[in-house]
Amino acid sequence: MTDTDGSDRASAALAVTALFAVLATMALGAAEAFPDPTGFPADVSIVHNIGYALFDIGLGEIPVEGFLAAFLIIALALDVALDAAIYLAKREDEGSIVSALTDGGREVVAGDVAEREPTDEGGDR
Amino acid sequence: MVSASAYVPAIVLLPFVSFIVALFGRENLPKRGAYGGIAATAGSLLLSLWVLVSVRNGAAFQETYYTWATGAGAQDWTLTFGALIDPLSVLMLVIVSLVAMLVHIFSLGYMNDEDERDLPRYYAGLGLFTASMLGFVIADNLLMAFMFFELVGLCSYLLIGFHFREPGPPSAAKKAFLVTRFGDYFFLVGVVAVFTTFGTAAFAGAESFPALAEAALNGEATVWTPGGLEVSTWFTIVGLLILGGVIGKSAQFPLHTWLPDAMEGPTPVSALIHAATMVAAGVYLVARMYGFYVLSPTTMAIIAFVGGFTALFAATMGVVKRELKQVLAYSTISQYGYMMLALGSGGYVAAVFHLTTHAFFKALLFLGAGSVIIAMHHNEDMWDMGGLKDKLPVTYWTFLAGSLALAGIFPFAGFWSKDEILYEALIHGLDEPLILGAYVMGLLAVPVTAFYTFRMVFLTFHGEPRSSLARDPHPVRWNVKGPLSVLGILAVVTGGINLVPVQKVLNIEGIDYLHLWLDNHWGGIEGLSSHHYAELDPYSSQYLFGGEVPTVLAGAAASLGLAIGGLALAWVLYNVADPDEHTDKLGGLKELLYNNYYQDEFQVWVADNTQSVAGGADTFDQGVIDGVVNGVSSVSLLSSERIRRIQSGVVSNYALLLTLGLTTLLVVFGLIGGWF
Amino acid sequence: MVPPEYYLVLSAAIFCIGLFGILTRRNALYFLMSAELMLNAAVINLVAFSFQWGNLTGQTFALFVIALAAAEVAVGIGIVLVLYRNFGDVDVLNAATMRW
Repeated sequence: MTDTDGSDRASAALAVTALFAVLATMALGAAEAFPDPTGFPADVSIVHNIGYALFDIGLGEIPVEGFLAAFLIIALALDVALDAAIYLAKREDEGSIVSALTDGGREVVAGDVAEREPTDEGGDR
Repeated sequence: MVSASAYVPAIVLLPFVSFIVALFGRENLPKRGAYGGIAATAGSLLLSLWVLVSVRNGAAFQETYYTWATGAGAQDWTLTFGALIDPLSVLMLVIVSLVAMLVHIFSLGYMNDEDERDLPRYYAGLGLFTASMLGFVIADNLLMAFMFFELVGLCSYLLIGFHFREPGPPSAAKKAFLVTRFGDYFFLVGVVAVFTTFGTAAFAGAESFPALAEAALNGEATVWTPGGLEVSTWFTIVGLLILGGVIGKSAQFPLHTWLPDAMEGPTPVSALIHAATMVAAGVYLVARMYGFYVLSPTTMAIIAFVGGFTALFAATMGVVKRELKQVLAYSTISQYGYMMLALGSGGYVAAVFHLTTHAFFKALLFLGAGSVIIAMHHNEDMWDMGGLKDKLPVTYWTFLAGSLALAGIFPFAGFWSKDEILYEALIHGLDEPLILGAYVMGLLAVPVTAFYTFRMVFLTFHGEPRSSLARDPHPVRWNVKGPLSVLGILAVVTGGINLVPVQKVLNIEGIDYLHLWLDNHWGGIEGLSSHHYAELDPYSSQYLFGGEVPTVLAGAAASLGLAIGGLALAWVLYNVADPDEHTDKLGGLKELLYNNYYQDEFQVWVADNTQSVAGGADTFDQGVIDGVVNGVSSVSLLSSERIRRIQSGVVSNYALLLTLGLTTLLVVFGLIGGWF
Repeated sequence: MVPPEYYLVLSAAIFCIGLFGILTRRNALYFLMSAELMLNAAVINLVAFSFQWGNLTGQTFALFVIALAAAEVAVGIGIVLVLYRNFGDVDVLNAATMRW
């Protein structure tokens, strides 16, 4: 049940190959246009520089202060994602909150959810 | 000092505010809306007088207030609201706001004292009516005029049908609305024609449509005409189309049938409709765009002939009516016929003059009739009246002044204006058969007018009371007598603003004030002067008896003699203690007149016989128009039924479509941008 | 030094593999993994061009995308749970009841 059958698969493969062909053609076609890579100084660690910048230690050689806000926002986004994951995993059942740690929200007492008519509910309760 | 011109919009907006206040204030207002209306119209009157004075000092102007649509490309029309304040419009502003104010005051006596229901609705209607008419008067372009023209029609519908619980008024209101709408239909087509022809509908200025039309006729400008039609022919057609609206509103033959029925409305409303607003709108429109009409001799002749015919035709019907207001209704139709006759025969000033004097004396007569109706406890049958002279002295004397003015007896206001109309028609008509015919009909209408007017006066006020109501009439209060007195004085003296015959006979210069006023003597707007119109009009003046003075004297003598003849006949027949119904002796003719030449029946017959046309239009509408609409909808229904299959709800399909779309886009961009 | 076009081709290949997974799999969890592959293809591009132009923004953005992927998985897992509750399965083809 995890895979589609033959014809769908063939069309998917065709579409994906076409996309790849286009992308690859474009990438290789643009090969002449690229100059030599600039790169970063080989003996400088970017991670270290970020660390210095975070604690305002004036040892950095690469200017990374401008990205600190971005890192903080990343941290916030991850936090929100974690909270959202926990919230979504919780399940309200008849007013009581069932813990997120039950087996995928399966109702142990009322029997297997899979045995019920799949569409008898309008949505998530 | 603040310029008066800045307050012109307020003239229109004040009554509109009173309309809004009466609409939402309902029964809580003092005198249920009357005071607000009086205050608003009094404010309008004061502002109008101020503007009048400033125009007298040369401050005529045209200003655009609001552009509400702008064309694009080659059709660069702009549709605007603006004000055109010149001697003509400011004169009309004063007339309208004065009559409206007096009607509001009179309504205190006629409506409030009689404990009518729903008075806020009544005063709201009056306010809107006044505001629409004032807006119409200041309009500086044809489209704006048309909009307010329609508003005036709407308000007349609302007010005529004020007593909507009775059977008569709603039906009369519908009739007024439909008949005038029939004329307005042509007017609308005319407005569109003016726009397509000239690309503008402004009344004044070098870019206005009368100026462009004049230039086009002189070959100095080119205008669009349908199918390469001759320019002058096309102008005649456009003029006649707009004239359709005028004939409907000003109750000219054959669209006059709504007006007598409009008497079903409250009497003050009748006064407002007949004197200053609704009916006057048509004549005012012709005067406003007179520069366009004078360019077309055919249209002018038609206007004059229709006017002359209506004047006589309506006057004959007024002879046999039993009800006070019915007589006045037919006299209104007849008098507006005179104005049309004047306009058509080149007497621009004469028409405006008669419009002015008529506004005063007809408002006076209607309010006087209203006073009589109050006294008679709303019985309008003249055969139940009689002998009211001693019971209602103020009403009697003012009504008499109005009647003398209406009949055209020297030296009352109506004499001067009517005499000038007939004089203009005579001197311009001596080598124009149509105008001459119209003149003859106008002249014949004079004795008839005098006869029915004084038949009405004698039946109402003289002789012995013919019913118990007339023996013991209901008294009227100051709020009735006040407006009557003001209008009574005006009806006597208004003729003094334009004493042309006196000037010509006695050779005194400068007492023809209205002529000077409309001739931009004290400043005005270029191209809108009576002098300019006189240069354009197709007529030449011919004099009888070898000169101007004898012609003036002969014309005045003829009309005055005929008027006095009619009066004398009425005197002999009806100024007796117990008059008989002499009109019965007319026999079948009376039936014919009493039934208005069966005009109503004729129109019903026409309506019945054109039902198949309407049926055809209905079939066309149901079949073709609706068919196209339904076809479009069924095509889209069918295609959506098919196309919605794409929305399978399966995520993979959507993703596949996205992939294909992305690939296509990339290929297209790549081909365009040369990425490969 | 590896020329940038090879990174681009690699990124395109990984993207297409992820896309192929999305097009063919029916299990919602495989979907999440495939989406992860596609995101990482984008990250490869970002890092490659960061190196190419010597600009740190690309690397920062790569970090951002990784955080985004984490958030996306969190939400995605939530959706998968709801899917399972309502349809008793994690087959995405079953969740087609809201079409027309």
